[in-house]
Amino acid sequence: MDYIINGIIEALKLLVSFNRELYEIIFLSVFVSSTATLISSIIFIPLGLYLGIKNFKGKKLFSRLLYTLMSIPSVVVGLLVAILLSRRGPLGFLELLYTPTAMIIAQSLLVTPLSLGLSYNLSKNRGKKIERVGITLGARGVKIIFLLIRELKIDLFINLVTVFSRAISEVGAVMIVGGNIKNRTRVITTSIAMFNSMGNYSTAIALGLVLLAISFIINSLIYSYHQEDY
Amino acid sequence: MEIKIKNLKKYYNDKLVLKIEELHIEKRKITGIIGPNGAGKTTLLRIISGLDEDFSGRITYDNSTLNNNIYDNMTLVFQKPYLFRRSVYDNIAYPLKIRKKNKAEIDKRVSEMLNRLQIYNLKNEKAHLLSGGESQKVALARALIFKPKLVMLDEPTSNIDPESIKTIEKEIKNYNSNEKATIIIITHNLEQAKRLCDNTIYLENGRVNRINGFL
Amino acid sequence: MKRILSILLVSLLIIGGLVGCSNNKAQSDTGKRIILATTTSTRDSGLLDYILPNFEEETGIKVDVIAVGTGKALEMGRKGEADALLVHAKPSEEEFVKEGHGLYRKDVMYNDFVLVGPKEDKGNLKEKSPRDIVKGLRLIAEGNYKFVSRGDDSGTHKKEKALWEEAKVKPEGEWYLSSGSGMAQTLKIASEKQAYTITDRATYLNLKDKLDLEIIIEKDDRLFNQYGVIPVNPDKNENINNKGAEKFIEWLLSEETQKQIGEYGKDKFGMPLFVPNAK
Repeated sequence: MDYIINGIIEALKLLVSFNRELYEIIFLSVFVSSTATLISSIIFIPLGLYLGIKNFKGKKLFSRLLYTLMSIPSVVVGLLVAILLSRRGPLGFLELLYTPTAMIIAQSLLVTPLSLGLSYNLSKNRGKKIERVGITLGARGVKIIFLLIRELKIDLFINLVTVFSRAISEVGAVMIVGGNIKNRTRVITTSIAMFNSMGNYSTAIALGLVLLAISFIINSLIYSYHQEDY
Repeated sequence: MEIKIKNLKKYYNDKLVLKIEELHIEKRKITGIIGPNGAGKTTLLRIISGLDEDFSGRITYDNSTLNNNIYDNMTLVFQKPYLFRRSVYDNIAYPLKIRKKNKAEIDKRVSEMLNRLQIYNLKNEKAHLLSGGESQKVALARALIFKPKLVMLDEPTSNIDPESIKTIEKEIKNYNSNEKATIIIITHNLEQAKRLCDNTIYLENGRVNRINGFL
Repeated sequence: MKRILSILLVSLLIIGGLVGCSNNKAQSDTGKRIILATTTSTRDSGLLDYILPNFEEETGIKVDVIAVGTGKALEMGRKGEADALLVHAKPSEEEFVKEGHGLYRKDVMYNDFVLVGPKEDKGNLKEKSPRDIVKGLRLIAEGNYKFVSRGDDSGTHKKEKALWEEAKVKPEGEWYLSSGSGMAQTLKIASEKQAYTITDRATYLNLKDKLDLEIIIEKDDRLFNQYGVIPVNPDKNENINNKGAEKFIEWLLSEETQKQIGEYGKDKFGMPLFVPNAK
């Protein structure tokens, strides 16, 4: 039992002493996951909004496929990206495997169905009404999408944060394509797995606490944003 | 804008909900649509406004079929209008903004409109928090601000206070004569139809039962 | 709705039944199972998969292999989370026994480490120093050639650190990558990055076909890698299966098993991956 208590104490010490390695890991995590979130969101939020209000053949099947992909295991995405990017793979010439770029690519792919699905669902449920008003006031095409983004911005923000949470808390994809290389591709989740396997519990606990803190901050943000305006 | 409808048929889950062989809506007039619930009044407006394209038959607007120019010059105010989650000002300014009007012109026109509907004091309120009568006025203001030639109103004064009804009716009349616009209005209130309308259409079971004559 | 409910109910029952069964089985088998904490090298080289089925057949005791770095394996022993250890960091192992965590330590087998690197051998180490690992490491550091370290406190990592120390080089900088991973993953990273790394020969030979790496430096006495086996002190907690562990060690050191170890890999690689040396 002692080692757990010691681990927590050591962890707090590491955090307050601004241990450089620890904070580099945290920074990279946030950087990789937020970049992935932004990349997938910029493309797939508008697309999801569009598909949500659009009537097309096979929309039911599309919804089902999308909801399935939303829970795609991260290791599967990691594997796919690793196969593509490895030196013997089709994109091997880019020499991207085991770099932060590869991690961003993998996480972007991982959260894309989520990004698309959440905004699709939102617009399927609430978009029609807004679209109709837009049309009666003379908006068309892209203007409708902009209108949807403005009207649904609170919910979209919540979706964005959900997507980010999924990205920053996944370990499978970044482990496979990042390789957990010290000072380069080591993020919070892969470090926790590694420090645990090395028996270095204090650093693992410290990073676990940070991950929890990030979730807490995110959820508080959502909550306060949700309160406002309603 | 003059509207001609020919052989209009609308099915809803295999049920014929609207069947109009021929119907003219005169330009520059206020036409009332009356009839019991479920007669197809709202469906008809949604078809004319282009929101519902799933029908058979032919509708022309000043002898041409629906095109972007016509879309740009007509509007429909829903019975329970959806207001944007922004200020009253922003709601009313929206149609002008997407038409790329400059700031000064938008300011001027929105202020005039707010005054005409006696809601200038609500200018900076959050629109989605307004009461029923206030919402109706904002929705009407937002619809009229870009000077459409065809205005469709789906029960614009149901469940609101008499004072607001008066203001809204006055604005509809004024708009009709000042802008020479065609107005179609669904109402349950025969007195209102008498006060406002030049023509009336009585819909029952999706069919035109009578035109004028019963007021 | 009713149908969905009944389907759900039935599947719950089935799952419940299965779980129940496997629980019962686990309970009756407690005495017939040992936990072996070992290094990733023994797993990644394929040796354990080759020899363990015989043990399980002979004794009916199942071996649950937890493949981690030597550091973590020793840590598991210290906490009594394993019954026996098969690791390769002699000084740490002896300390482990001396501190009373293990009953004794016995030699099992050895293999050797090699320095592998890209075919083009950027530092030209193959010519300059084919038998001297310390000089080789110095050349890598001087030339800033990429080197991937296990960085996971494993036996291999400890060995590597000792060699850097001997070379009087502090491995730091852009060129030195610490993977914090097992041997197979580290080799894969080295291959992708076209970097040098130190690996046990067994794992390297087992994965060779999938790597763009070849042996650069080998057969230096300092690259010798001795494996030892330790039964964990059963006084730590009552869950430790010392009987099973003793039986396993006896079997592991037996003439027949030792012979098998010496044969593993011969057909595939033309030479054994491990050399048995139990006394």
